[in-house]
Amino acid sequence: MSERDMSETGKANTISTENGHVRPAQEFDYADALARCARGEHAALQQLYQQEGAKLLGVVLRIVKDRGMAEDIVHDACLNIWQRADSFDPQKGAARTWIFSIARHLALNAIRGRDREVSVDLDDPHELDDDDTFQQASRVTDAFDWQTGQRMDECLQQLETERRNCVLHAYVDGLSHAEIAAHTGAPLGTVKAWIKRSLLRLRECMA
Amino acid sequence: MSPSNEPDDLHALAGEYVLGTLPMAEREAFEARLANDPELQKAVTAWEERFFPYTAMVDPVTPSDYLWPRIERSLNASATRVPQTVSRRAPHAHMPRSRWWHSLPVWRGIAGAGLAAALAMGVLLTNVTTAPATPEYMVVLLAPQTQSAGWVVQAANRQEIQLIPLGTFEVPEGKALEFWTKADDWQAPVSLGLVEPGQPLRLRLDQLPPLEDNQLFELTLEDDSGSPTGLPTGPIEFIGRAVEI
Repeated sequence: MSERDMSETGKANTISTENGHVRPAQEFDYADALARCARGEHAALQQLYQQEGAKLLGVVLRIVKDRGMAEDIVHDACLNIWQRADSFDPQKGAARTWIFSIARHLALNAIRGRDREVSVDLDDPHELDDDDTFQQASRVTDAFDWQTGQRMDECLQQLETERRNCVLHAYVDGLSHAEIAAHTGAPLGTVKAWIKRSLLRLRECMA
Repeated sequence: MSPSNEPDDLHALAGEYVLGTLPMAEREAFEARLANDPELQKAVTAWEERFFPYTAMVDPVTPSDYLWPRIERSLNASATRVPQTVSRRAPHAHMPRSRWWHSLPVWRGIAGAGLAAALAMGVLLTNVTTAPATPEYMVVLLAPQTQSAGWVVQAANRQEIQLIPLGTFEVPEGKALEFWTKADDWQAPVSLGLVEPGQPLRLRLDQLPPLEDNQLFELTLEDDSGSPTGLPTGPIEFIGRAVEI
């Protein structure tokens, strides 16, 4: 376990890379921070918060679209991270991904729970629309500047633009099938089929 | 190559869970299954890893200065955590129960209970008063642990509120109840001063923006001269959000 000076790791600034994405200026040891959370060190959670708080809030706010609620969720996410830090297993995945997953799923639970309260029947009568029949009037362009330099880029690249947009609207914006349908103008059944097939193609491509 | 459709379905379902497109009932069912299904856990983790880089598309948003102190207060309040010295916990062993105020569903529940109570009280009050000065907003402040109503805030207009006790409250020696409010987009709560248990209080909010829907009100236990920091430092005794009547 690294016994690095806390004040040094905790103050890690972020710098912008040429494509505008932010990455840690010094390697922040997320797994070590979680291990220290598991041992009950408040400072470790605070360092994580200093390192990722703004990023977490950005990701959550993009999904829930309400500032007060987003801060509530980041609060809850931090306490969840604290409480569950000892169940994190570095053999199974990256610590940074684990941290963001907790916050994202709290945000998703909040908005999907809200969908249920509204309780509209979102099922489309045209559920069986063949997913190839949908034609958009205009040329579909990318809704996202999505290239991250990761291997997954190549796989997303292989998807048709409108399908890639659906997947990213779901992941980044937290949109439901029905919301994506409304947003893109594609029928609901089409959106569902596109997403499912895209997932299978992405998985195959990443295998 | 997949031998049948079954693994495909599992991975697609895991992918939809990670994307967030599953409706709430399906999310809950999925999570229940996830807890005891290592295959599904692996599938989910794989999707989390695949998509994670795309969080980089989202711009960071600087949290309000108040957020970290609030997290820290909750941490201190849950300071019962036992340091892990003896046993390594099995993955997916029961996690220590977080206290109620860590739980978003509880907060949402309180908001819901507050709404129900507010509506019930609204009905009662309009029945009682002959000249129905119907409040525009109402807040029922609940004790978080018992969810029993302790105070009501009535606002006849958006600049004037009345805090009405529904019972008594024992304030420990050397302590006082401090009254706070915070609208959704404020950086931090604002103190509305100290409150005498059992005594009604009428306040004009001249220095504050007009009262808005969902605005938070809370009473915390502070030193008898009030919070030394100007922000809540003690436990929340009563809390609720404004409901437009």
